[in-house]
Amino acid sequence: MSNPLALIIEDDPDAAAIFSEALKAAEFETEIIVTGDKALERLTVTTPAIVVLDMHLPHVAGPDILRYIRADARLAETQVIIATADSSMVDTLYEEADLVLLKPISFSQLRDLSRRLRQQGLL
Amino acid sequence: MMRIVNQLLDVPSIDPEDARRRKLLNILLIGIGTITLLILLATSVANIIGLVNQDEAALLVYGCLVTLIGISIIYVINRYWSGWLASLLFLLLLTVIVAFSDEPQQVVNGRALFLFAIPVLTASVLLRPWVSFIMTGLIDLMISVIALRIQFVPPVPTMLGFFAVALVAWLAARSLEQALEDLRTINRELDQRVEERTQELAEALGKNQAVLESITDGVVVFDNDGLAIVANPAVATLLGRPADEILGSDIKMLMSKDVSLSDQGTVTDLLRDKGKRCPSVKIEWGDKILSVSVAPVRDDSGRVIGTVVVFRDFTREAEVERMKRAFVSTVSHELRTPLNAILGYADMLREAVYGPLSDLQLDTIERIIVNSKRQLNIVNDLLDQAQIEAGRMTLSVTSFSAADLVDDVQGVMGVLAQKIGLELTSHVADDVPATLSGDRQRLHQILINLVGNAIKFTDKGSVHVRVYRPNADHWALAVSDTGCGVPPEAQSYVFDPFRQVDSSVTREYTGSGLGLSIVKQLTTLMDGEVTLTSEVGQGSTFTIVLPLIPT
Repeated sequence: MSNPLALIIEDDPDAAAIFSEALKAAEFETEIIVTGDKALERLTVTTPAIVVLDMHLPHVAGPDILRYIRADARLAETQVIIATADSSMVDTLYEEADLVLLKPISFSQLRDLSRRLRQQGLL
Repeated sequence: MMRIVNQLLDVPSIDPEDARRRKLLNILLIGIGTITLLILLATSVANIIGLVNQDEAALLVYGCLVTLIGISIIYVINRYWSGWLASLLFLLLLTVIVAFSDEPQQVVNGRALFLFAIPVLTASVLLRPWVSFIMTGLIDLMISVIALRIQFVPPVPTMLGFFAVALVAWLAARSLEQALEDLRTINRELDQRVEERTQELAEALGKNQAVLESITDGVVVFDNDGLAIVANPAVATLLGRPADEILGSDIKMLMSKDVSLSDQGTVTDLLRDKGKRCPSVKIEWGDKILSVSVAPVRDDSGRVIGTVVVFRDFTREAEVERMKRAFVSTVSHELRTPLNAILGYADMLREAVYGPLSDLQLDTIERIIVNSKRQLNIVNDLLDQAQIEAGRMTLSVTSFSAADLVDDVQGVMGVLAQKIGLELTSHVADDVPATLSGDRQRLHQILINLVGNAIKFTDKGSVHVRVYRPNADHWALAVSDTGCGVPPEAQSYVFDPFRQVDSSVTREYTGSGLGLSIVKQLTTLMDGEVTLTSEVGQGSTFTIVLPLIPT
């Protein structure tokens, strides 16, 4: 059985690379998407176990993607980890997201968190 | 008609008393001239219908003609030359007329004698009051001469009686002159006062007007009915309409085209309470950003007689402010992103993602991480400072546990303290509520700053964090150390931005020099107070006292 899919929606290539390595270390298949519209396109055909979602994206904003995921029954099991640099967004997104992480998010932080999610049997 | 009469009576003279006398003489001349003309007419008619004999009629006609010629000459002299000479000649003419108006015996002792009162009275009015006495003397002399010539006894009682008439004339003329003089003085003083006040007013108005016209702020004064009564040139430029169009308009009419409805409401509210609650607002007015300030206008007795509204163009400032904000936000993003990437990759290497590392490699990576973190902290401090200075730092208040907060800080800083052989201890007093209300993240930042500082300036001993309640309404965070302490003269400026106690220690104790300044400003933002007690060589205690907000 192949590893579950983690979709990394992040326009900063460095952050995306680090997230990707962290999730690989936690034994996920990873895929990086750099724009909001591509992300929405991809989400219509895949069912990722985890979505790491940046809030400031080109074309379609992070909150809109979050709303899309939450409205789609097929994606009900998908865990959404929000990555934002804006501390004031933490409170507003807390309800809808499974996890809200304040940037900068380190490799070990994301690796440990996602590993814990797998071990808890959620994914 | 009146104009022609006035012109006839008028005399050119700058002395009002002289003018009055000469005008009076003109009236007399015209009056007597008219009477003479009537006599001439009556004589002619009487002669035609045969009521008088030829000789008498001829005499009367000659007399009248001579009188008319005399009057005309005197009129011309009075009008164009000398009033005084004209008056003298007139009196002479009058006396001669009286002297020849009747038979000599009637003149000195009969029906025509009373006529001499006329020149006596006239003299005091036309020349000087006292001239009536001289006139009386002359007339008495003339009566005596005439009387003696016709061998009559001069009428001494009547002649003395003329002196009484002269006395009355003198009194009357003098009183009149005095009254007129007083009146003129009063008038002169009044004129002077009016002139002074006019001058003052003109100066005051001129000054105000000059100020109003030269300032670049737009000024409009609204009366109590809300209509504009003053508008300076600057306001016309600012609002893009001529000043005379602004005058008479109310504020709603001025705003109707260029201001959004909600801003219109703000400005009308501002005007309604005349800036009592807040004196000014900034709004978009057409393509400009204007600050609108309002104040009541009061008269001397303190009564509100209107509202002055001052418009100032803030378009440029707003643009600069916007650019500054954009710059800070861009810089903050551009500075942090690569640092975060460096930290991320270094972390990945340290976690052996790309294979196991030697001790030397691990140590190097650790140095990369420490230095990057240090730089990230300085960048964050600078950005916090910029945000605080711009007044854009906001707090996000949540509930949190003081024990958790202190544990967190101890977790982060404990390792650092241990590394240099310091003990980091903490204690939360029992009377501190289990949950507190406040901006946990910023309080964390304050504590990290204070503990970091304490560790930095302490060589040996301990750093102690204490949470307690100094009184019922407050809670406090205190960070004490056993370090080098802060000298008294430096205690006043340790909270200033970019200041460190001794510039020579800056290199040894690295940092942005902003830590304590940010601590102070964040504390102020939280309505709290930060204090420092310190003794050189003994250590320092920084205490933050914050209001206890019910959760």
